[in-house]
Amino acid sequence: MKSKMLLLWLFILSLNLSCKKPYNPPAVNAPNSYLVVEGVINGNSDSTIIKLSRTVNLSQNTKSSAETKAKLNVEDMSGNSYPLNEASSGKYTCAPLNLDSTKKYRLHIQTNNGKTYFSDYVQFTSTPAIDSVGYHVTSNGLQIYANTHNPKNNTRYYRWDFAETWKFHSKYYSGYVTNGTAIVQRRADQMFYYCFGSDISSNIILGSSEKLQQDVIYQNPITTILSTSEKIEMKYSILLKQYGLTKDAYLYWQNLQKNTEQLGSIFDAQPSTSSGNIHNTADPTEPVIGFISATNVKSKRVFISNDALPPSWQPAYPYNCGMDSIKVKDVAALLIPIGSTFIPMNPFSYPKSTMIDGYISSSIECTDCTIRGTVKQPVFWK
Amino acid sequence: MKKCYLVFFLLILIKVAFAQQPPKTFSVNFHGANIEQFVAELELKSGYHFYYNPVQFDSLKITLEVVNVPLQTILDRSFRNTNFHYAIVEQQVFLTKGREIQTTLAAGFFKGKAGDVPHETIPITDYTNDQDKKIPEATTENKLYEIGIKTNEIKSGTATLAGYVKDIKSGEAVIGASIRVVDSKIGIATDQFGYYSLTLPRGRQTLSIRGLGMRDTRRQIMLYSNGKLNIEMQEQITSLKEVRISAEKVANVRSGELGVNRLDIKAIKQVPAVFGEADVLRVILTLPGVQSVGEATTGFNVRGGAADQNLILLNDATIYNPAHFFGFFSAFNPDIVKDVQLYKSSIPEKYGGRLSSVLDVTDREGNKKKFTGSAGIGLLTSRLNIEGPIIKDKTSFIFGGRTTYSDWLLKLLPEDYKHSQASFYDLNLDISHQINDRNNIYITSYLSNDKFKLNSDTAYAYSNSNVNIKWKHNFSNKFYSVFTAGNDHYQYNTSSSDNPVNAYKLGFDINQTNFKADFTYYVNPKNTIDFGLGSILYKLNPGDFEPNGSKSLVVPNVVPAERALESALYLGDKYDITPDLLVSFGLRYSLYNYLGPQTVNYYAPNLPRESVNLIDSTTYKKNQVINTYHGPEIRASVRYNLGDNSSIKAGYNTLRQYIHLLSNTTAISPTDVWKLSDPNIKPQYGDQVSLGLYHNAKANTIELSVEVYYKRLKDYLDYKSGATLVLNHHVETDVVNTQGKAYGAEFLLRKTAGKLNGWMSYTYSRTFLKQDDPNAGDLINKGNYYPANFDKPHDFNFTGNYRLSHRFSFSLNATYSTGRPITLPIAKYNYAGAERVYYSDRNQYRIPDYFRMDFSMNIEGNHKVHQRTHNSWTIGVYNLTGRQNAYSTYFTEQGGAINGYQLSIFAKPIPFVNYNIRF
Repeated sequence: MKSKMLLLWLFILSLNLSCKKPYNPPAVNAPNSYLVVEGVINGNSDSTIIKLSRTVNLSQNTKSSAETKAKLNVEDMSGNSYPLNEASSGKYTCAPLNLDSTKKYRLHIQTNNGKTYFSDYVQFTSTPAIDSVGYHVTSNGLQIYANTHNPKNNTRYYRWDFAETWKFHSKYYSGYVTNGTAIVQRRADQMFYYCFGSDISSNIILGSSEKLQQDVIYQNPITTILSTSEKIEMKYSILLKQYGLTKDAYLYWQNLQKNTEQLGSIFDAQPSTSSGNIHNTADPTEPVIGFISATNVKSKRVFISNDALPPSWQPAYPYNCGMDSIKVKDVAALLIPIGSTFIPMNPFSYPKSTMIDGYISSSIECTDCTIRGTVKQPVFWK
Repeated sequence: MKKCYLVFFLLILIKVAFAQQPPKTFSVNFHGANIEQFVAELELKSGYHFYYNPVQFDSLKITLEVVNVPLQTILDRSFRNTNFHYAIVEQQVFLTKGREIQTTLAAGFFKGKAGDVPHETIPITDYTNDQDKKIPEATTENKLYEIGIKTNEIKSGTATLAGYVKDIKSGEAVIGASIRVVDSKIGIATDQFGYYSLTLPRGRQTLSIRGLGMRDTRRQIMLYSNGKLNIEMQEQITSLKEVRISAEKVANVRSGELGVNRLDIKAIKQVPAVFGEADVLRVILTLPGVQSVGEATTGFNVRGGAADQNLILLNDATIYNPAHFFGFFSAFNPDIVKDVQLYKSSIPEKYGGRLSSVLDVTDREGNKKKFTGSAGIGLLTSRLNIEGPIIKDKTSFIFGGRTTYSDWLLKLLPEDYKHSQASFYDLNLDISHQINDRNNIYITSYLSNDKFKLNSDTAYAYSNSNVNIKWKHNFSNKFYSVFTAGNDHYQYNTSSSDNPVNAYKLGFDINQTNFKADFTYYVNPKNTIDFGLGSILYKLNPGDFEPNGSKSLVVPNVVPAERALESALYLGDKYDITPDLLVSFGLRYSLYNYLGPQTVNYYAPNLPRESVNLIDSTTYKKNQVINTYHGPEIRASVRYNLGDNSSIKAGYNTLRQYIHLLSNTTAISPTDVWKLSDPNIKPQYGDQVSLGLYHNAKANTIELSVEVYYKRLKDYLDYKSGATLVLNHHVETDVVNTQGKAYGAEFLLRKTAGKLNGWMSYTYSRTFLKQDDPNAGDLINKGNYYPANFDKPHDFNFTGNYRLSHRFSFSLNATYSTGRPITLPIAKYNYAGAERVYYSDRNQYRIPDYFRMDFSMNIEGNHKVHQRTHNSWTIGVYNLTGRQNAYSTYFTEQGGAINGYQLSIFAKPIPFVNYNIRF
């Protein structure tokens, strides 16, 4: 409903009466940096990953600072404790936990500066399997959606996130490469035409069946891909993860979504900070960001091939590309040096000439897909 | 007729006898005797025969006590000071009215002697007209109107004169006209029906009458006893749209009220409005002490009150949503509205139920003399109004309608918005009927409807419908009553059908049936008493969520309807203790019953009201009283005159509000729901002290006022983070009681006459709220005071009109205010794949200051009175300087980065044109 209000605003914007322009707030500085806890106590055969970081001031260039050297434990009410280890800076993991879906769990954090934090005990929520991931073809792209249901009618609240991978190619095929002294034909392992790109979801995706008679989620929007996106120029894959939530967790995520993603229309709620379920034992008023849930995460991967999509959809290449012919006398300066931004594609010869007179070349952005992806095919790719 | 009298005359003349008999003497004692008693007694005692027309004498009452005097003396004294005359011819006595029978031949009849002065006869004005039966319609200035039962002797002391002041052209009541006795301080203003009641010394008096937009006039009266006089006034046709705020030029100094602003439609029409159509609510915002969170919002805030704390009345009917199309247009048709009164401080005791203010919008009465109408054409809307008599001078109607045709504009939009629709209309139909001079009936009705659909997904619709009937009954000149019964209804619904499984319809409605009886008693010129009672029966459907279509899996979710009865009893007295000191004291006792059928949840005491702390839930039967809130409300004010042109006033008032708007958005949205107080949600309570200084200069054409106030609010509802307000079966778990305080100073300078007129206001005001309920759970700003959304400390407004000639005038409107408070992000962090922000305490920062200037020009057609139509153009520019005022600022995450934006609504100069036609 709120997004429709935003549409009203867009409508008014398009009437040219109103306008939206960048706003730089006065330099505001938070007195402290607050602990941010992200992750899910995973009762599945996957590992549990908890990330710890600290907030930074808006004016700072750094994105956020990892909270290192903390001690983390997942605890149940009967005194069992499962420690997590710091796998990389601020990222704490542990081997798969086989948790009891009828029990309550909490997270215990001991930070390096000696403060102790506990999450509330949270009820383990069972997540049903994802029934299917599908898509609609709309006038301007793909709308990917998910379906699920729980015959026990006891999940009701859902969150999703995803990792997407796609195969794409650079604008031009380059058959030649410099070896530092000369232009040579590319070996198979030097081919940079086809690549795999990947990304993770950056929006909070929520769904609920609380108003329905059955615990059914039908075509809940996951993400949209524009018809001009490179993601679908060849083949696209999405790994969707589904998390069952308690009502409290759902409300927390909804509030976070409202406050960080949906503001802007006049009918949106005022931003308000809601505290999660993690508290400093010594100072309960200290803000701690994050909400810990315990569930068995379910996932599903699907592939969407370009063959199934409307042929009229053409990818828009993200760079302006042109070709240039580099004559032999310039090759040494422009193409030979390692790290040149100009890449030879094909040799050319003038009519009646018997030797290579130069190379048709283009910029690295248009010939080398590795600047945006990786050549290595992921293991799951098929 | 006259010829007959002439014959009769001659006959008498022939019979003129030489009746020179020794005068007999009689003793009589009459006490308010009528003519029959008088004549019978005299005929018995004198043996004379009396000839008279009893009908002519039915208003005569004779009080006389004499001993042994001749008949002539008795008759002389009985008819002294009246226009009754007698003539004695032999044993016959002829009584006449208005003219005298000459018992002698006119001088010179038989070759009259020179120098004989003929006996002066009073010319017969209207011999056949039985004036005392009909209330004189006093239309001429030089005529002497005789009021009351004529007596031979004018008693000393006072009598009460009452009646209506009406427009001679349309027969419409003139509200707020002042009626003053020349050369004295006695005076009064007409009420909302144009009714007045004035107690003044008997005898010959001159009344001076002044009314808004009417030509000043005078009436000569001879007051014998209590009586009635209806006064017809002429419109000042030459006057162009002129800013007048108050009908009575000295009202701001002399009245006992504080914080009251009156605006008539002429003033409203000259303030430039965004799409060129006069907008009642937008003009209200230029008054001191009135603020809004921004442009294009429905609500307004009065002296630190929330938008739901304003009682908005259209002809005494409560309007729940006073705007069309998200506040771009106000719900009131400018062609029908007569005037607007805003009570910010001295809220009359007859009003109640809201904490901050009463906005009383009054429609005009239809023209009682002839059919007229007007039409207006603007870029987005058109309006039409027709009015006229149903029974001439007795019954009239007025009809007004407005509609929009903005769909053509939507069709021009890019593909994405082409399928949007937006439309609204509103209709007014009012009928007034005069049964007789003691009884009037008024029927008013209003219907508005808004529909919009944005990009063919969710459809919204909302509608106000109101009807009421008012019966005004005068018991006597000094005592009248108004009985009102009515029904007010507001509803909205939204529906979606895009996704067949989730397709839904959501509806909300509120219905109130009200009855009230208001009485006014003018005890004496110094003392007026108002009293009355009223009840409102609320029926509210908080939400009804239904599947839309056969494939929909939506579970019907109906939040049970709520019912409540709000009643009040009030008594108010205005008393002039001395000519300089006026005290007004009112007491209103309100009583609220929350009624069944209902299931009420009870929570453990001293624990947060959350589902886990639910201890019991009780079901009540229909009409069973679930709980009751009640209490007195005080409305008091004092005025003391500091000389002729200045006064000082002080006031204190308390109010209670039993109905709450649930909205956690900055603006009022059409989908907000109302909630009745129940055992878990306490009524809101507010009180206010205020003090004002008033001064008029330059013959009351310049008015200055300064008012200061301090206000407290209790149990105003605020919401927990992430509160669900729609379709919530236990709203009490999502709301928190908030306490508030507000204070401020308001300065107003107003020039009411002359080529340049208008007003300038400056307000300094602060409003703070805090949550200190220990059971609320997560407290906003840790339970400390924080500025309310509409806390804008500095607010300046200028509205001016310059009349170049009778046909051209310019208006300029300028407004400046401090930016409203916002909550800013103070830190950022990475979470769920994106950078996000952490917000400061609530409302700790402000958006940039607001400034806007609007300009408009009114061009009238020629002013010939006799032409079929009169037309005029309004041309102007809204936001002349094109300043991009921030409506709000917000931060949003796009592709992992956090960007701040400020949103402006009317960011460019918006030209407008409106064509109006009157017929």
